[in-house]
Amino acid sequence: MLTAVAVLLVVTFATFALVRATPGNTASSIAVRQAGPGATQEQVDRIREELKLDDSVVAQYGVWLSRAVSGDLGRSEKTGRPVAEEIAEKLPRTLFLALGSTLIAVVVGFAAGIVSAAVRRGPLPGVLRLLALVGASVPAFWMAFLLIVVFSERLGLLPTSGQAGPASWVMPWVVLAVPAAATISRVVAVALAEALRQPYVTAARARGASVRSTIWRDALPNAAAATLNVTALQVGMVLTGTVVVETVFAWPGLGAWFVASVEFRDNWAILAGVLVFAVGFILITRTADVVQTVGDPRLREERIR
Amino acid sequence: MRRGLLLGLPLLLIALVGALAPWLAPASPNATDLTASLQPPSADHWLGTDQLGRDQLSRIVHAARTSMAMAAVVMAIAITVGVSVGAVGAYVGGVVDRVVTAAVELALSVPSLLLALAIVGIRGNSLPNLIFALSVLAWAPYARIARGAVLGYRRSAASDALVGLGAHPLRILFVHVVPSAARPSLVFASTDVGAVVLATAGLSFLGLGITPPTPEWGQMLVESRPYLGTAWWLWLPPGLAITAVALSGNLVSEHVGVPPELRRWRMRRPSAPRQPERVVLPAELDADAPLLAVRELRVRFDTPGGEVVAADGVDYEVRAGEVLAVVGESGSGKTVSSLAPLGLLGEQALVEGSARFRGTELVGADEQTLRMVRGAGIGIVFQDPYAALNPLRRIGSQVAEGLPLGLSKDDARERVVELLGSVGLPEPASLVDRYPHELSGGMRQRVLIAAALAGDPAVLIADEPTTALDVTTQAEVLTLLQKLGRDRGLALVLVSHDLAVVADLADRVVVMRHGRVVETGPTADVLAGPRHPYTRDLVAAIPALGRTPGTRFVTGVDHVVEEAPC
Repeated sequence: MLTAVAVLLVVTFATFALVRATPGNTASSIAVRQAGPGATQEQVDRIREELKLDDSVVAQYGVWLSRAVSGDLGRSEKTGRPVAEEIAEKLPRTLFLALGSTLIAVVVGFAAGIVSAAVRRGPLPGVLRLLALVGASVPAFWMAFLLIVVFSERLGLLPTSGQAGPASWVMPWVVLAVPAAATISRVVAVALAEALRQPYVTAARARGASVRSTIWRDALPNAAAATLNVTALQVGMVLTGTVVVETVFAWPGLGAWFVASVEFRDNWAILAGVLVFAVGFILITRTADVVQTVGDPRLREERIR
Repeated sequence: MRRGLLLGLPLLLIALVGALAPWLAPASPNATDLTASLQPPSADHWLGTDQLGRDQLSRIVHAARTSMAMAAVVMAIAITVGVSVGAVGAYVGGVVDRVVTAAVELALSVPSLLLALAIVGIRGNSLPNLIFALSVLAWAPYARIARGAVLGYRRSAASDALVGLGAHPLRILFVHVVPSAARPSLVFASTDVGAVVLATAGLSFLGLGITPPTPEWGQMLVESRPYLGTAWWLWLPPGLAITAVALSGNLVSEHVGVPPELRRWRMRRPSAPRQPERVVLPAELDADAPLLAVRELRVRFDTPGGEVVAADGVDYEVRAGEVLAVVGESGSGKTVSSLAPLGLLGEQALVEGSARFRGTELVGADEQTLRMVRGAGIGIVFQDPYAALNPLRRIGSQVAEGLPLGLSKDDARERVVELLGSVGLPEPASLVDRYPHELSGGMRQRVLIAAALAGDPAVLIADEPTTALDVTTQAEVLTLLQKLGRDRGLALVLVSHDLAVVADLADRVVVMRHGRVVETGPTADVLAGPRHPYTRDLVAAIPALGRTPGTRFVTGVDHVVEEAPC
């Protein structure tokens, strides 16, 4: 937990320092961006005072951090609205997108991984492995194009944008889920094959256990522990992948908002975006450690001690 | 490695195309011709033209140059920084190493695409900023690899030798340490190119990477967006190019990091084993008939390096109440020949010959028949009690697995407690809900014995049951096996590399070497008059009272091979 906080502090501080170290972020230029060329000296002074621009970078960061902790992430230079308000409005849509994709990615990824390691005959495992390799290699934005061409342009089945019901969710969900599902299935297949080679699996079979039973009771729990970190990382990538997918499908969530903020060089929004995405990403990856500790009796015991 | 090169071929090809772009491209990538815009592929323009009438093929080819140049720069920075940081951290150690490790951990736990976007957003969209944004986290995996490699090198004997010879530390660092770290880094790099190309394309696609008019695949894709339904030649080729680069990298990494049985596209089935005969011959149901009779057993393994014969014409048999010792050095095929009859050697094993349990042929039998024999007919105690118990399952669950089906939960628990008690485990009731790691090696081996007995087998095969245990525990476990064998009237097969260990227990001995049985007979006869030179060496190696101290220990010496009458 301590490391997670440290990572957040370092990342936000680095981003903050980068903002301050970049020319064009002086009080007068911010005033010009906010109020136009006719910005008065009073406005400039007010901005300088508000952002403590005369203090050191560390002190300024301290001010930003204390405000951020109390929920004040500054005002967007683009819209003039509080950044926190914009995030509160966009975040649920992004979570909806990311959760749907995560569900698809984990279910499909594990299923494909289990089949490619457990099925020993026929072309199915090979086909699945090939699909997983291709799925992990196709860039999300191009896959989105392929789907749009086939399902929107040719077949006219799915809308290319909007949030009007399940039909408009399918393509964003799938595009976001495919790379994660592909990577998860590859890792699950490798870990499961490894686990199936372990002596405890042979021992269980020597007691009369079926292959199916050893997969579910012996190999999979051990393999899942080994795949937990990669799975969490992929879920984190689903979250940050919304940046691209929301832009392609005009999904009005946090990802598209972040890209728009970056295009506009809206510093407070960028900083807040980095914070929110990093918190989400780290929460997800740390959850893997906790789950691992709870699921493994050896680690569980160490923790209690 | 040759296969690895083949898989990386698309990548090399695209890199080559990029390098030779000015000579390969039929036209300038930026020459516009508005009279010929959005032309489909033709003899003049193999991949058509875009909305400004630019030759699409020339743009694709030049975009390869852009991507590859970008990847080369970013990876040069990442590898240089990463390998130096990691190597120095591992070499210097102490605080420096801790800082390096922390920095690597930090860099690896930050979402890279996001940070790259933020950097470009804050600093502005320019080539140096883009390169900075892409390399700021890319060094971390290389630092981790280099650190591991250097730590490995430092622990090696070569490192000690160099220090002993008085080599200068800097010379050691640059001539020996850095190269040892560079090699695994380069292997990773071959798989990392795709990631850099993908990231560049992603940023360009968002309008935050390579700026027009410089051709770049991601940016070509954005420009093609309005023509998705009309001009396939605009959006299909750039996407295929990015996918090809990424796929090539993934194939190489798969080749490097994936276990061989998953690498094959389709499992090769061993040639069909001969049809099982499941006829039970009356003669073999005699009380005196062997419970397990192995004849001409031959086991081959299909390995990447070719076929390996692990057992070649093995014969043995064991009767109820009898103790048979199978003795041989590691690799002699003794374990393989005891697991093969039950079909427990995996897919790569090809088993031939015959192994009859109570007259039922096991070689080539279907899974259903084998499952009925496993546990309930023949029980197995495995060599390594630490590896043969699933660390995530409770003891009770693993012992109960072998119990006959149809027992109620309470009955099953009672039987498990009974079994655990019968192998001499103290407080068996409290062990049922414990996990393997809470038990000592000797206790685990007793648990494994209890589990093997759960199905009430007639034959118990113990594969090196004491090798992983300390000497006192060894004796206890052997005594236990002997007692269980006697009490239950088991046919006990003791597999061991140590004739001394089993000599006291066994009624008969089978000596194996190089996959063949070299000698077999009643224990007393074999010990008194070993006929095969290898057996003579084994017998001579048994420590005995009255033997001159300092007698040469001769087990497994190779002169035997020449003398052996084969």
